[in-house]
Parts: sequence; C-alpha cells; structure tokens
Amino acid sequence: MSGFSLFLSVVNGLAAGLEVTVLVTLASLAFATGVGFLLALVRQFTAIRVVNLAIDAYCEILCNVPALTHLFILYFGLASIGVRLTSIAAAILGLGLIGAAITSSIFRAGFASLPKGQAEASLAAGLTPLQTIFEILTPQAMRIALPALGNYAVQLLKDTSVVSAIAAPEIMFFARSMVTSSFQTTMIYATAAALYLLLSLPLMQVTRFLERRYGRLKG
Amino acid sequence: MIGFFAPYRDYGGEWLPLLLRAMVNTAVLSVCAFALALVLGLLLSLCQRSDFQALRHFAALYVTVVRGVPLLAVLFLLYFGLPGIGIVFDAFGAAIAGLALCFAAQIAELFRAGLKAIPAGQREAALAVGLTPVQSFRLIIFPQVVRVILAPMIVTFVALLKDSSLASLITVNELVLTGRAMATEYFLPLQIYVAVGLCYFAIAWPFSVFSRRLAVPAR
Repeated sequence: MSGFSLFLSVVNGLAAGLEVTVLVTLASLAFATGVGFLLALVRQFTAIRVVNLAIDAYCEILCNVPALTHLFILYFGLASIGVRLTSIAAAILGLGLIGAAITSSIFRAGFASLPKGQAEASLAAGLTPLQTIFEILTPQAMRIALPALGNYAVQLLKDTSVVSAIAAPEIMFFARSMVTSSFQTTMIYATAAALYLLLSLPLMQVTRFLERRYGRLKG
Repeated sequence: MIGFFAPYRDYGGEWLPLLLRAMVNTAVLSVCAFALALVLGLLLSLCQRSDFQALRHFAALYVTVVRGVPLLAVLFLLYFGLPGIGIVFDAFGAAIAGLALCFAAQIAELFRAGLKAIPAGQREAALAVGLTPVQSFRLIIFPQVVRVILAPMIVTFVALLKDSSLASLITVNELVLTGRAMATEYFLPLQIYVAVGLCYFAIAWPFSVFSRRLAVPAR
C-alpha cells in the first residue's frame, strides 16, 4: 500500500469515531451549561444555607478530581453495584457533571461582575425579582460569560479523548484499536491529533471572536 | 449505605499503603512535569517577545497547536509513536515530557498576561532612576508579575495534577493505574475509585483553596 492510500485509510478509520466525539462533546456541553446555569442561579440568588453549601461542596469536589477518576467511578464503580451505564452515557454524564461545576463558576462570575445598580434599578422600576433575574441580569451575565464558556468548550472537546479509556468508540478509541492491528503507530496518533486540532480550531476562532467582542473574564 | 463503607473497614489497612505510595508517584510526576513546564513556558514567552519574527511565529503556532490537541494524543505519540522513529522514552519520562509540552503553552500565556498587567511606566521609572534593564526586570517588574500570576499558576498546577491521571494510560504506575490494579484484585471498583478520587482531592484541594485566597481581584 502506498503512503498516501495508507494515510487515507487511517483517516477513514479515525473518522468512524468522529460522530461519537461530536455527540459526547455537544451532549455534555448542553448538560454542563444547563445544570451549571441552574446551580449558579440558585447559588447566587437564594440564601438557603444548606443548599448553597451543597453546591459549593459539589463544585469543590468535581473541580479537584480528575475526569478519568469520575469516569471510572461512573462506569466501573456503579456497574459493580448493579447500575450499568453504557460507555457513551457514562461519558456524557461524567464530563457533563464536571462541566456543570466549571460552568456554574463561570456564570457566577458573570453575575457577580454586574454592578448592584442593575438589580436595584430594575426592582425600583417595578419588575418582579424573577423578571429582574431573567430579563435584566441574565442577558448581561451571559455576554460576560460567553468567552470563558468558549474556552471551556475547547477544553471539553479535547477531554472527550479521555473517554476512550472507558471504551466509548470515539476518535482516540479507534486510533488505539487501529494501532494494535496495523503498527503504524506514529502516523495514526499524529493523524488523530491533527483531527482534534481540525475540530478545535473553529471553536478557538469563535472563542477569540467572543473575547474581542465581549472582553475576557477573570474567574 | 453501610454496605458501601464496609470494605473500607475490612481492607483499609491494606489499601492505605498502596494508595499512599501511588500518591507519592502522582505528586513526583506532577511536580517534575510542572517544573519542566515552567522552564519551557518561560522560553516560549521569551520567543513570544523576541525581536525575531520567526520565533514569534513559532511561539504562536505552538500555543495554537497545543491548545487544540488533547494531552492523551500527545502522550500516546511520545510513548507509543516515537519508538517507531527511533526515540524511546520510558513511561515516566514520556508522561513528564507530554505534560510539560502541553502545559508550557498555558504557562507562557500566563507570563504574557502577567507582563501585560504591569504598566509601562514601571519599567520607564526604573530605568529613569538609573537601574539597568536587567535590574529593573529583576527588582521592579518580576516581583509584580509574580504577584499577579501566582494564583492562576497554582490553578494551572492543579489542572496538571488532574491531567497526570492520563499517565496511567501509558502505564505510569500512579494513582489511577494503582487503583485499576487494586480494582481487579479486590473486585470493589466503586469503593476503590472513590478512594482514588479522595486521594487526588486531598492533594489538589489545599492548592485550590490557597489560590483563591491569593487571588488579587482583577484591576
């Protein structure tokens, strides 16, 4: 087989994992932003101590333990007590739960950076507290949070490679299985790396655009 | 619930030494990789500020590529791929090199942000009162940069510590790999992986708390 057709067959083989990589990235991104936003709302705008403490603990624990360990707990750990998740479900849940902790702190930083006057003026103008949160504060906080969310999305896309360790059939998984059969190790892993780069470059471009437009958030 | 904790009572004595030894390996791996990443990051940030356009282009390209490629792909390339072209790393060396190469980009960006945060007047004033350029950097600029970037630097270290878990996939005998071996031996994956997670948490959390205490509010 000539070099180029070999390369094409490698690309072809890796492309089989493209679907799962994109699926896991999008699904866990949706899960993470949804749950993260809810957590941020509750943490920022309610004063129930137990709940807030629980949210803080959740964020602390998930931010200080590696994704790989979470995935092993969800996939191998839960299976041993009879809760069997498919590898893709465990991947989405695992990355999504970690992401929720990350995005909740991004959203909270967004809310916290708004001047107090925004809420006060809105309440004084006769809007209800809920209207204030959803119609005045959230759109502004979103704008501030967007660049950081973009960075998180790039990180997430790369982190999906880890789920090959629980046998979710994504790009890295196919790379590993092709290596065992074809021994073109260097080329296969380099191509896989290039494929990830190809996927993340547009995301990075969007993030850079958001940073220019809305500024960079420290948080 | 009692069933969940029972194995810790029964096997805790056997598990603790294994986990502690693995924790030491994880810590050594992370510290070595971080030290190397600091050196590479510093070199990279010198390239970014160099007068030679080629070096600046190289640094920009390096940062973009590394931001877009997953660590796992880099580790597999270094450990499984490079022997194909005659460069052989042992697993521990490959893990240190891979982690350092990936985190050097983040550290270079931190240095850049830190240097940008120091007003130009600082350097001008230092030169005006008669300090040499080297002195003004060492005595005036550098201490201020350190204050700005220390907190995000610690956050980066925690990220590296968590990512060091991927070294288990190239057979470095750190926490996760030790956990896997224990899980097959004792057949209690849930309890063991939770314990592994706690070990990471025990190392990472103090750093996270410390970094938050240090964080200078932006501007």
